Amino acid sequence: MLEYLFFLSSGLFLGWSLGANDASNIFGTAVGTKMLRFTTAAVIASIFLVLGAVFSGQNTAETLNTLGEVNTLPAAFTVSLSSALAVLMMLKSGISVSISQAIVGGIIGWNVYNHKPTDTETLTNICATWIFCPIISGFIAVGLYICVKKLLHHSKVHILWQDMAVRVGMVLTTALGGFALGANNMANVVGVFIDSNVLEPIKLGTFYTLSSIQVLFLLGAIAACVGIFTYSQRAIRTVGKNVLSFSPTVAWIVILSQSLVLILFSSESLERFLISMNLPPIPAVPVSSTQAVIGAIVGIGLVKGGKGIKWSLILRVVSGWIATPIIAFALSFISLFFMENVFKQTIFIP
Amino acid sequence: MFNVKISLFARTRDLEHNIDSLHDKIIEMTMVFKEAVSIYLQEQRSEKYRHTSKKIKIIEHDSDILRREIESKLYEQNLIPDLRGNILELVENLDRVINLFDEVAHKFYIERPNIPEEYHAQLQELVGQVADCAENMAIASRAFFRDLVTLRDYSKKVYLLEHQSDKTAAKLRNEVFDSDLDLAHKMQINNFIEEVADIADLAEDCIDALLIFAIKREI
Repeated sequence: MLEYLFFLSSGLFLGWSLGANDASNIFGTAVGTKMLRFTTAAVIASIFLVLGAVFSGQNTAETLNTLGEVNTLPAAFTVSLSSALAVLMMLKSGISVSISQAIVGGIIGWNVYNHKPTDTETLTNICATWIFCPIISGFIAVGLYICVKKLLHHSKVHILWQDMAVRVGMVLTTALGGFALGANNMANVVGVFIDSNVLEPIKLGTFYTLSSIQVLFLLGAIAACVGIFTYSQRAIRTVGKNVLSFSPTVAWIVILSQSLVLILFSSESLERFLISMNLPPIPAVPVSSTQAVIGAIVGIGLVKGGKGIKWSLILRVVSGWIATPIIAFALSFISLFFMENVFKQTIFIP
Repeated sequence: MFNVKISLFARTRDLEHNIDSLHDKIIEMTMVFKEAVSIYLQEQRSEKYRHTSKKIKIIEHDSDILRREIESKLYEQNLIPDLRGNILELVENLDRVINLFDEVAHKFYIERPNIPEEYHAQLQELVGQVADCAENMAIASRAFFRDLVTLRDYSKKVYLLEHQSDKTAAKLRNEVFDSDLDLAHKMQINNFIEEVADIADLAEDCIDALLIFAIKREI
């Protein structure tokens, strides 16, 4: 058990970075526009992140497992650590990146190192979501923006009541965003440890038992909560500075769009429903909340005439999205070599 | 939890009521001011004028209380963080217009200017335009909180009325200085005309600021 927890530490570190980095996407704009206090937002987001991770987090894990079943503990540790380091490197260079992309790069690194073929269909699916996630988020944001604008124009509601509605909306969206982040992204954090999981199930009273995988997701979620409380305020300060030109209503639309996109890409029932209707399904794939936020911001910016969009900054962020999986891939490949040949650890069970 | 929600709703409703009341005070002030000048021109500093002048003082005092309440509630309850500064400035501007009405009415009371009858009609016309200008400014300002299209409509009216009041004031001052009155008398009447016309100028300045705030208020 101790050995497992030691190797899991890299996953927990990745969980911590998820909380520190992605929480700013959930409620950064709400805190940045001074509509919600940091503590209020952090508590709400943390509670719902834990719920989302424990009760809905496994859907996206299956997709990652199809990509590559990292089946030994030292390998899971290495893949996770390489991904965390890739994220950290990008963050240090000032580019907000996605843990989803890093973990995919890390897993492919493991596949290549072990001469295991990568499931190209799953990989194509995942890469397609990286393109579609910001586009869908942008469309949702534009739709919401037009509807809210029309509603405000026709309803003639007093500015004070508008303010209250946005505040309530932000509280609800923070909860939804927390749940969505837990449901969609927790697989990135602990997904590679599922195959080697040795945690015991936990009984919650007489009615419910958390399975061993749910306990694993709970640990990841707790690490993310620590990240939210210890580091996310710094990231939020940056978001706050960048969104000063946003009105709180637009800030709310951005986080709502982002949360909806994360929910769309986490729901297996929606996937089944779309297939039953003979429509193209939206797969349960871990997507990036950063990509979703940027998609929403660009969408609204374009509707407003496109003048306020800093294209050079967007290009920098997009280049980060391409660089992250490549760096994670390289780190994973090299670290696996050292893990196997220097530390004499088993990194693949055929 | 339920109590917190109820009190939050009640406090928001209270503040909404205060903001509406401040606008009501401006509209009331414009009507009482017109009445006061009319009484002064007919009866000088009569008991009736004294009474109307007192009404103006009460409106000014009430609006000061409303302004303070609005300002403190906005900060205490941490409401509308993005527009709070603009709303405070707007409330201060509205209060300045009310104060100017009070100052001019009080000046009539203290200085008791002797305004020859041939200028009465034009002075009343000027007062009417200035009062209408301030009234439309109040309606535009009220619309800022609910309906930006109406704000633009009434802003146009304010600009138009201010321009008309400028023309009326210029014509009246010209006639006063063309007359045979002694210079001190001319200067005193001119001073009153300027003070009355300044109210419309201040209303126009309020609208200028208000239209900038409205751009910020667009989502």
